[in-house]
Amino acid sequence: MPHAAVDTVTLTIDGHHLTVPKGTLVIEAARQAGVMVPHFCYHPKLKPDANCRMCLVEVEKMPKLQTACSTPVAEGMVVRTATTVVNEAHKSVLEFILANHPLDCPVCDQGGRCDLQDFSHQYTPTTSRFIEVKRVFPKEYFSPLIETQMNRCVQCLRCVRYCDEVMDVKALAPSGRGTMTEIKSFLHHELDCEFCGGCVQICPVGAITSRLSMYEYRPWMLKRADTVCTYCGDGCQITIQTKDNQLVEVMSAQGAGRNNGDLCARGFFGYHVSTHPDRLRHPLIRRDGVLVQATWEEALELVAETAVRLKLAHGPNAFAGLIAARCTNEDLYLFQKFMRLAIGTNHLDSSARYGQINGVRALRRVQGTHRWTVTFEDIVSADALLLVGTNITETNPITGLKVKEAVKKRQATLLTIDSLEPAVGAISNIANLSSHHFSVHPDRFKPAVLGLIKAVVEDGHVDPTLAQRAPAYLQTISDSVQDLSWPAIEAATGGTPESFREAARTFARSARAVILIGQGVLRTADGYGLATTLLDLLLLTGQHGRPGCGLAPLAEENNDQGAVEMGAVAEYLPGPGDLSDPAARSRVAQLWKEDLPQEPGLTLMPMLERARAGALKAMFIVGENPVGSLPLSAKAKEALQSLEFLACQELFLTETAQLAHVVLPACSYAEKDGTFTNTEGHVQAVRHAIDPIGESRPDWEIFSALSVLMGYPLEYGDAKEILKEIRSLIPDYGRLGPAPTPMRPATEAVDGYLHTGYATDAADRYALSGTGHEARGAGNDGHLTLLIAQSLFHSGKLSTRSKGLLQVQAEGSLTLNPADAARLGLADRDQVRVTNNLGAMTTTVMLAERVPKGLVLFPEHFDQEARRLLTVSTDPVTQVPYYKLTQVTIERL
Amino acid sequence: MLKEKYKAEIDEILSRYPVRRSALLPLLYLAQQEEGYVSEPAMKEIASILRLTPPQVYETVTFYTMFNLKPIGRFHIQVCKSLMCALVGSDPLIGWLEAKLDVKPGDTTKDGLFTLSKVECLGACGTGPMMQINSDYYERLTEEKVDRILADLKRDGTSTLKSGPFMWPEPAQRA
Ligand code: SF4
Ligand code: SF4
Ligand code: SF4
Ligand code: FES
Ligand code: FES
Repeated sequence: MPHAAVDTVTLTIDGHHLTVPKGTLVIEAARQAGVMVPHFCYHPKLKPDANCRMCLVEVEKMPKLQTACSTPVAEGMVVRTATTVVNEAHKSVLEFILANHPLDCPVCDQGGRCDLQDFSHQYTPTTSRFIEVKRVFPKEYFSPLIETQMNRCVQCLRCVRYCDEVMDVKALAPSGRGTMTEIKSFLHHELDCEFCGGCVQICPVGAITSRLSMYEYRPWMLKRADTVCTYCGDGCQITIQTKDNQLVEVMSAQGAGRNNGDLCARGFFGYHVSTHPDRLRHPLIRRDGVLVQATWEEALELVAETAVRLKLAHGPNAFAGLIAARCTNEDLYLFQKFMRLAIGTNHLDSSARYGQINGVRALRRVQGTHRWTVTFEDIVSADALLLVGTNITETNPITGLKVKEAVKKRQATLLTIDSLEPAVGAISNIANLSSHHFSVHPDRFKPAVLGLIKAVVEDGHVDPTLAQRAPAYLQTISDSVQDLSWPAIEAATGGTPESFREAARTFARSARAVILIGQGVLRTADGYGLATTLLDLLLLTGQHGRPGCGLAPLAEENNDQGAVEMGAVAEYLPGPGDLSDPAARSRVAQLWKEDLPQEPGLTLMPMLERARAGALKAMFIVGENPVGSLPLSAKAKEALQSLEFLACQELFLTETAQLAHVVLPACSYAEKDGTFTNTEGHVQAVRHAIDPIGESRPDWEIFSALSVLMGYPLEYGDAKEILKEIRSLIPDYGRLGPAPTPMRPATEAVDGYLHTGYATDAADRYALSGTGHEARGAGNDGHLTLLIAQSLFHSGKLSTRSKGLLQVQAEGSLTLNPADAARLGLADRDQVRVTNNLGAMTTTVMLAERVPKGLVLFPEHFDQEARRLLTVSTDPVTQVPYYKLTQVTIERL
Repeated sequence: MLKEKYKAEIDEILSRYPVRRSALLPLLYLAQQEEGYVSEPAMKEIASILRLTPPQVYETVTFYTMFNLKPIGRFHIQVCKSLMCALVGSDPLIGWLEAKLDVKPGDTTKDGLFTLSKVECLGACGTGPMMQINSDYYERLTEEKVDRILADLKRDGTSTLKSGPFMWPEPAQRA
């Protein structure tokens, strides 16, 4: 639907004439005219509440002063914000607030950036007529991370409204009434919430502050660096504030970045990772079996010499490299260049292999793009959003906020296919906002998607032009879904034919439809196939290729997308271009002035297999920890132990680094410059906030130094020079702008897919069988399905070294449905043994309504023991290792 | 568990409102009727019935002074302290009750019989000073009348002195 031209209104504010869209609030119009109207309760993210009366202004022809924060502009309106009457009003409002506000600015963390201080400075008379005693609230402990100082509260309720309207968490209660209103949680209980820090950020005074940095600074002492969070693919812009090279706090300015100043707990409270005492400060070399401190010269020379020696003896394909997608684009780019040129092998891979690659490969296959065709803005303005296999509020919290905004503020229809049930809890749950929720087992997303497609086909929602454009394609899919029986779909998913029909109708009829898929799709068997099938859904409904519509796979790590685009995966060159595509090869070879290695690259799992077989001799592992991440049955440890030489670049001595012959200390994101590419393909600047810890160096610098010593100099002055080279391969890469320009599907690619491409695996993709664990336990045989899942409070294993996040979640526990718990005779916090044929682990249980019956969840961040119970299967096409699901039995200890 | 005991009432209350959360106040009354105050488990249960968070329920309870967050005595004495009653002597009356019961406003007597509260206008301004005990009004109070009421309640659990509320003009004086 073309959006109707916006009506405008012309008005005058303090003599400025201006024209603004109809519906604009006077306070916003004033801002545009450069006039700041003082305010407390107003915030652009929140609905007007007009409770503080600070923003009163004079409007001609209106008898009384008006609140600028809740008055919409009108044609010809004449507003005055600085008359004597208005100033008097400001004075009296402040006099009332200051009647109770303590004069503790010298010990208040907000001092120096406090709205009340600023407005008082501007409007308050120097004397107060108030002689009564001030209101005093008894001090109460609020939470481990967030502190309240209610005597300072001006009762604007911004915190409460943010927690409800934006976060959908509703953890804050304004208790009592009038002046005695106090922001609390629930009775005397400490706060239990998402710890997004939003209330801290939005409080105009120092009434809600972070405990992590309490009393540590005065705002004007802090040095600021605008950079990007390292904890998930959303890529939030953060400002790291430091004092004497110490990390003091993180904030994100209103309007900043793709996150618009919103953050999650990981971004707001997780920053202490970089200065953890366990950070590696010096290079380590293995001598007589133990890792001992060495100088950079010794360590680099040892790596270079060994590499040269092994290369001579066994050839370049005896090497392999693995890099974490937490690194910058510059690191990733230079890593693959180093592996391909200095070593001479394509055996390189990154953590994008764990799932991201499934999404990218599906997008490339069907529409020839490696990125989303939508942006966060398209999510916000979508009419229908379909979420499949994503607990988005925990994995990608800020993309989750966009979904919440679409549903709560703009009345989008939300459809969800996920294993979690709608249930109100301490953290938000996107299923609560869904109007078509299919709660299916984590290995049953495919039958649910097929149900939707069947309904689309049977109920005539298919794009009429498709019959001409791709008759065979349409025929194949129509036949396949007609062959599926509704009872079988219902048996697999629990969804009735009617529920699929209604959902399909809503989805297909929406003008702007976005499908978001998460780890539930990308990291479980069939991930690649299911992502492809979801693109079929868009093709069938005719929404594919329409602006504002598309499939959006959610990136797990901050630079998963960059890792693919930089060619830091086995099958791609920078671009990404297919390693097997002669044109792509020659473009890269031309720029590098060197031929590329011929042999196709090994991906992660085959790499480990080859190492175990003794065919690989040496590996470079950069920030990746296969020994700590993969199930024990993957035998990553055995594989790495079979190597003649293992070099690791790491922040910490991880399980993997402990096996290395040389460990080189690398800088964390807070110490480097470069770029990250977020889940929507937006390239953003990373800037160092502190100096490198110890002797650590940025990863790219280490590759560069090694290449020089190996006689293949890849020299760069700084990260910017690498970005320049990246730009000569990928024009305009990371021309930093406020928002990404979404890609358009390539017509040739879509045509290719519609004519032949779809056929290779259509039979498999449209079959109900083969959906993984056939014998899943609904509980009757005592079996439950264990899902290793991501938690809101952590990111991989990295964040488990953040002191802030550990205060919210310090260990793993098994979450299960209260009904299952009752059946097993378990109560909250009971100790249990979890067993299957591979092994056992002990842990505590937690009950949660949102976990469906038959399923138990354990956080991947603390899965050291759980990894014993898991097996790995590998995607036949994309070689993604799947190991998040298994069957277990549980008994009380 | 309210749900087990009052299933029918709860269903009936829920059926009255197109927006589920609107049933909050009636459900809170139900809980208070049951226990004399709104307990933590009750707030949690009501939250789950209405798909609200416990803080949202708590917020509402604290806004309305008629909900008690603490267990109260068998007889909840709420004395009006608003202007009209103050003019005709609610202050000495409260003092009298404090002395008689040996409690401060907000507290409960040791035997668990009486809780004393000061509240705003109860709409019986013409017949002050006045108080409400549980759901009964007692008006035109004097110290002597208060003594009798307390004794009656202690002995019989009820008192014949309960009244009104009177309409204005009072029925007897009506033409
Ligand atoms: S930190 Fe907690 S209470 Fe504060 S806004 Fe976020 S979720 Fe709500
Ligand atoms: S704590 Fe801060 S944001 Fe919340 S009501 Fe008080 S002043 Fe406003
Ligand atoms: S973890 Fe993700 S959502 Fe949270 S602040 Fe960082 S980038 Fe944003
Ligand atoms: S900002 Fe307008 S009333 Fe508070
Ligand atoms: S002032 Fe006491 S009842 Fe109205």
